[in-house]
Amino acid sequence: MINRILKIDLTKKKAEVYSDEKLYEDFLGGTGVATKLLYDHHIENIDPLSPESPIILSIGPLNGIYPIATKTIAMFKSPLTGNLGESHAGGRLFMSMYDANLSAIIITGKLDMPSYIAIENEEVRFVPANSIWGQSASATERILRSAEKGIGKRSIIRIGPAGENLSLMANVAVDTGRHFGRLGLGAVMGSKNLKAIVISGNYRHKMENFAEFNKIYNEIFWTAVKSPAMKKYHNLGTPQNVLPLNKINSLPTRNFSQGFFEGAEFLSGENLAKNYLAQQIACANCPVGCIHLGTLREAFEDETHFKTLKIPYDYEPIYAMGTNLSINNPNALFKLLNTVEKVGWDVMETGITLSWATEAFEKGLIGTNQTEGLILNFGDVETYQKVLNFMKENKNEFFNDLNKGSAYCAEKYGGKEFAINFGKNGSPGYITGRDAFLGFLMGVRHSHLDSAGYSIDEKIISGDLNADPTEEIDMLINEEEWRFILNSLTICLFARKIYTEDLVLRALKSVGISKTSEDLKNIARKIHALKYKIKIDNGFDLNGLNFPEKLFNVQTGRGKMNKAIVQEMIKTYTNRIKSLVETLAQ
Amino acid sequence: MRKVMRVVNRAQCIGCYSCMYACSRTYFHIATTKLAALRVKNYAGVEGAFSIRICIGCTHPDCAAACPTEALTIREGGGVIFHEEKCIHCYKCVEACTLNAMQWDPIAREPLVCHQCGICAEYCPNDVLALVEVEDDREAHND
Repeated sequence: MINRILKIDLTKKKAEVYSDEKLYEDFLGGTGVATKLLYDHHIENIDPLSPESPIILSIGPLNGIYPIATKTIAMFKSPLTGNLGESHAGGRLFMSMYDANLSAIIITGKLDMPSYIAIENEEVRFVPANSIWGQSASATERILRSAEKGIGKRSIIRIGPAGENLSLMANVAVDTGRHFGRLGLGAVMGSKNLKAIVISGNYRHKMENFAEFNKIYNEIFWTAVKSPAMKKYHNLGTPQNVLPLNKINSLPTRNFSQGFFEGAEFLSGENLAKNYLAQQIACANCPVGCIHLGTLREAFEDETHFKTLKIPYDYEPIYAMGTNLSINNPNALFKLLNTVEKVGWDVMETGITLSWATEAFEKGLIGTNQTEGLILNFGDVETYQKVLNFMKENKNEFFNDLNKGSAYCAEKYGGKEFAINFGKNGSPGYITGRDAFLGFLMGVRHSHLDSAGYSIDEKIISGDLNADPTEEIDMLINEEEWRFILNSLTICLFARKIYTEDLVLRALKSVGISKTSEDLKNIARKIHALKYKIKIDNGFDLNGLNFPEKLFNVQTGRGKMNKAIVQEMIKTYTNRIKSLVETLAQ
Repeated sequence: MRKVMRVVNRAQCIGCYSCMYACSRTYFHIATTKLAALRVKNYAGVEGAFSIRICIGCTHPDCAAACPTEALTIREGGGVIFHEEKCIHCYKCVEACTLNAMQWDPIAREPLVCHQCGICAEYCPNDVLALVEVEDDREAHND
């Protein structure tokens, strides 16, 4: 396996590669290695948007080798939350890093002018690019794809105007329709004058144990192609969740006021596939092809001229800019998504910030003097489009504040009780019950992908599982820790049912890494403890954690939450984290 | 009748590169897309549109005709056979293929010749490629 780390200093315009066998022995790769690298950077006294602030990109020992090991981990200090910044993206980035024979890239410093960097194996070129500063995230990819030939398949990651403007919810677009979406990596890139990274390589990694590799490859590949569990990701994609969640009263609607959206059928995976789907595309080395591109056909001038755009869609964007803003028209939704994509915001934080703003407007916490005369109403697409335009322009103090996310805005204007964020990160799209929320609150990234508490809620709703606060916490922690292993390899979590512990151990062995089940558990716990240590050292306060108050008054999929029980659960969970972090001192 | 490769459903390509991985894996035991005897490429700036260049196993191959050293000879059933020892790394075979199907290994400086084996089609999850029976070179270009 590769253990070569490329360190890039943007200020000095220098790059060097070093190896660290022990780091990979101890932390596997992916999120494990990135966590240790971030920890060793001692980011406690570093402003996330200062030159010293690091960006770490990291892949693991199965990337480039086995199917659906398609993710790259980005780790940084989050400008949105002030602590652990971590986001995962698919696309081709992992493949280009593998081809370049690099397992991690650490970027620090600041370029003296707007530029992009081109990485070809360990060679780094620093290219001034005033002309692409200000270009949309989508245009930047087109421009660089013709400007940079590369020495192999190229991956292009870039920011849009949101990142340049240091919006705390700016994302980084990766190839087509994939993103480092969450926690503000785009602003970190922007603060470094770094518009984009183009990476390619031409290394060839010979498989030492070809027979075993080939056997495992086929096992994964054919399971992925044939199993119904994976087919659903290809067929309807993640929007398959819209109707089932709506049916169990768990689809966030109008800023989490209810779990039933009357327009759900219009935004359902079924309706989008039937009437809007242009095609599916895939990440490299993944036969599933879960990326769905919808068509947005718009007339211009008169009704005889048309333009047709392809808009990537997934469940979370549908929830964030659709149901939760009470927008039921797919064309209208696609228009908003297109703007968000081009400007380069995290679509989930954007949606949550707009839904907070709408409720804050309803309640009179903000008024037309702040909104430049706009009247915010749920369902009003034209106004939301104007809000996005004003946000892009930083039209006034209020729109500039919206760029800082829902937690910042609620702190300044009020309405904390209905700013639906966890650890300052805008909520994912589930009102299934307390385990979803507990996972968002206590998960290291405040992501639905940390521990998938919604899945526990769903099992309890369907009667497959009995509610039990202690067991629910155990399940959340166990799931999150197993996912630290998967995220260290680094596989796409859609394939988590294929990548069982048995398969993971065999796959690791086939690439020369001998681990036991116990080893993996220990590594996962160490990763968990280190991540939380980083969070705490950077100001994440374990005392007084709670859900946004509004959620206690909402009918979740599991009914109304019992506040006393939830608070007891948060306390228990918090104590478990505290003792976990204490193990680091030993 | 003979069996040769065709792109039968170009527009169904999802760009997963499973075909190229399969080809490189089979003939080089390497996990890469770069040693494949076919190429799937994004059209720059066109989201989701893929160009697929694959050797169609001509009976009168332009690549073999262009080779000055007979390093490429005509394969029975279509396409060419590569004789590495005769290759002078001149790149003329690649230039001669109008389909841009002949791939090149820039490190060995040799062509990557398709064996018309169909392993790429076997791993295509969306039936884009197929090994099809033809009599004439001009048959079965249906996408």
